[in-house]
Amino acid sequence: MRGRWLFVAVSIFALVPVVAFLLIILWMGFWQGNPGDPVVYTLKHYRTLFTDPTTYRTLLNTLGFASTTVLVSLLFAVPTAWLVERTDLPGKNLVFALVTIGALVPTFFTAMGWVFLLHPRIGIVNKFVVEWFGLEQAPFNIASLVGMGWVEGLGLSSIAFIMIVATYRSMDPALEEAARVHGLGIFRTLRYVTLPLTFPGILAASIYVFTIGLSAFEVPAIIGMSNKIFTFSTFIFYKIQPLEELPSYGIAGAVSSLLVVLALFLSWGYFRVLRFSHRYAVVTGKGYRPRLIELGKRGWLIAWLFLGGYFFIGKLLPFFLLVWASLLRFFQPPSWAALEQVSLSNFYGLPWSLMLSGAWNTLILMLVVPTLALIFCLAISWTVLRSGLKWRLAFDAVAFLPHAVPHLILAIAAVFTALFLLRNTLSLYGSLTIIIIVYTISRISFATRIINNSLAQIHPELEEAAFVGGLPLLQVMRKILLPLLRPALVYAWLWMALLCYRELTMASVLVTSQENVTLPMIVWSLWLGGSLNQAAAANLVVLAFMLPAVVLYLAFGRRSRFAEAS
Amino acid sequence: MISITGVRKNFQTGDQPVAALRGIDVEVNQGEFFVLLGPSGSGKTTLLRSVAGLEKPDSGDISLNGKTVYSSSQRISTPPEERGIGMVFQSYAIWPHLTVAENIGLVLTHGRYRLSKKKAAEQVRRSLALVQLENFENRPARLLSGGQQQRVALARALAVNPALLLMDEPLSNLDARLREDVRANIKKLTSQLGITVLYVTHDQVEAMVLADRVAVMSQGQILQVGNPFELYRFPANALVAEFFGSMNWLRGKMLNGEQVETELGVLRVDGSRRFDGAVVVGIRPEDVKLGRSSNETENRIEGKVLSSTFLGDQVTVEVKIEGKVLIAKALAEDERPAGSVSVHLPKRRLVVFPEALAKPHAE
Repeated sequence: MRGRWLFVAVSIFALVPVVAFLLIILWMGFWQGNPGDPVVYTLKHYRTLFTDPTTYRTLLNTLGFASTTVLVSLLFAVPTAWLVERTDLPGKNLVFALVTIGALVPTFFTAMGWVFLLHPRIGIVNKFVVEWFGLEQAPFNIASLVGMGWVEGLGLSSIAFIMIVATYRSMDPALEEAARVHGLGIFRTLRYVTLPLTFPGILAASIYVFTIGLSAFEVPAIIGMSNKIFTFSTFIFYKIQPLEELPSYGIAGAVSSLLVVLALFLSWGYFRVLRFSHRYAVVTGKGYRPRLIELGKRGWLIAWLFLGGYFFIGKLLPFFLLVWASLLRFFQPPSWAALEQVSLSNFYGLPWSLMLSGAWNTLILMLVVPTLALIFCLAISWTVLRSGLKWRLAFDAVAFLPHAVPHLILAIAAVFTALFLLRNTLSLYGSLTIIIIVYTISRISFATRIINNSLAQIHPELEEAAFVGGLPLLQVMRKILLPLLRPALVYAWLWMALLCYRELTMASVLVTSQENVTLPMIVWSLWLGGSLNQAAAANLVVLAFMLPAVVLYLAFGRRSRFAEAS
Repeated sequence: MISITGVRKNFQTGDQPVAALRGIDVEVNQGEFFVLLGPSGSGKTTLLRSVAGLEKPDSGDISLNGKTVYSSSQRISTPPEERGIGMVFQSYAIWPHLTVAENIGLVLTHGRYRLSKKKAAEQVRRSLALVQLENFENRPARLLSGGQQQRVALARALAVNPALLLMDEPLSNLDARLREDVRANIKKLTSQLGITVLYVTHDQVEAMVLADRVAVMSQGQILQVGNPFELYRFPANALVAEFFGSMNWLRGKMLNGEQVETELGVLRVDGSRRFDGAVVVGIRPEDVKLGRSSNETENRIEGKVLSSTFLGDQVTVEVKIEGKVLIAKALAEDERPAGSVSVHLPKRRLVVFPEALAKPHAE
């Protein structure tokens, strides 16, 4: 095939940085010195890490936070999935649309809302409750592991929901019907058949969510850092950008290495469980819909109260709080006195010129990153599925790494590379280019999986027929594969553009100047600087800018594909 | 035992409703092996699932053993777990997370009877003995072969001593040789137990072997109910005749009660029924007599053998008569027919239906 090596070369070009970044992270942990100094190797960082009680506290914090996240997300995802897949609840399409939108709302957005709601000092619920019941102390504390896990779990419940729905769909409905027919009622069927059979799927979703929680940055950064509650991600961030001392890349490298090992181990577990759950997936002989459980009018009411409550608590409540906060100079609970102070001054006072350059940069990222990622991943997918190359499965494994490795760590590896290794050759530090590189690499797993799934469904003979007809590979790609893959590509492009827009985790270490600032970073800097009400206003502006992209996504992207990628 | 009256059901597919059942009336007697036979999409599975309570009809009444389990007018809809039935699913629906014994035990300890562990274990052994799976109790169910799963499914359905056994194409996922064995077993077992069976299939041989009575269904309606002999020899219309064995069809017009003018000339038919306008005349291949084996002169025509295919126990012969091709089946004792041949169409084997109601593949 003419052109085959071009595809393999592009794949290698895209995947080399992935491996390089991982090695650099490992190397960072054994390394000491300042930029430009001769290299000294040391085990000091690991020694410090293992003797410091902070490490163990951080470990416990992280595990507690991630576990709460899993529990909270399952609490909402499992009942919602069951209601949608197994009952006669009306309005299921609405549920799907809300969940998709829910997955797109940035976590830093909801996290800020929850601070205004449940912060022990300023949270309005706490203030009201203390006032009404004459309590000494605020009853709720969002700046705790449970509080942060609650916020993160609400955010990740969308992903958990989509994964669990897929589990229900892959199950032969006759398995539940057999139980009903032979005398088990609704609840016994649920307990003895449905739950045990969906358990591997739910477990897989739990591991998936746990892995994300382990390296989640936004919620611990918004809520935890100012209250000195660190998880591994914020701990690493703090070592890179401390307030007083010098940055310590060595310690960050050591912690990151441990986290990478843990994340890879969890991914391995995830795939094992997933394979086990596929064993239970039976292809049914008939295309009938499973018998839907009749909830009755009262059941519908309860179900919709639950779903409405879920959406209200998860998305609307934080939104209302941000709107209220953005209209005030100093945050306070709603009252007549507070109403008199309502003004748009926070919006007028926003750093608009900075916001404009942030918007411009973000727009460039949204256009360039998905495009680059798709080009690379087309080459990778083709190499994995079609090239017949001996090492093609290694390409697949490497392409999966950016999913398993926390994105914050990818970004740190890039910053380290720019500062220490390429210092005199390329000036990447503080540029938009470095953001483009890291964002693109971080999306490789997602895009290859989407394209792999679609490409696997296209029969190779369609291409072979064109080859036999004498078309070179590039033409086959252009005339045959691209048109056939188009729905998947459009979906993946839009989704990646939206993720780019709301990305804060990687930006937090990559953005170092006004030249490469992004919109979420501006919101976060305002928040970190203590201008909470201005941050709320900026957040609303950012969300408003996002709306057209979300509308585009809902119009052209297909929600079903999301399940394939997770 | 089962009494179904005026049952209707529409499905919403896309924008328009599709009628799956258009007013079904049928009675199944106590201890009867009753087969619902029809092509896919005829509504037979929907009817079975309505009896099970897995599907809710839009209107009509269903009663089991004199007890109403569904009635649109009385607003009754008994959930499936309270109908006291056993059911074998097409996919067998063996729970893959349990062992063979647990698969049966679960419905005994947590189903309608809530037996004690000990009693349940005895009953599990008895049920497994019925299907000759005595030593499989502790085998994880997902490790069973298709045929074994099918037997566990049957044992599970029978374990609760149901008054009624429902079976939804239980043999369609087995290979041909196994199918015959299992078919014979089902027949033997159910007649031993004297249980009432409602059985869905699209295979007419299966229906003939198993059924006391068969209901032939098409497009949500029952075309005819009867025992296999009646359906084969006295089909109520061309669709039943076509579905229950193969047919040669001739277009024609009735001249009087006993004569039809067809593509092959005037044929004499039994004068029991008379239709105005266009008709079709049908005859089964084994009823088409070749050669001078009989002295009958009525309905005798000359034809030409196009091909003859030797099938071991019989010969299939294509005969061309007046531009029309008939299929004949004959015993393979004599030498293969060739060249010109005399064809006899016995009068009492010809069936006549109005063409408007028929959709034969005649051409």
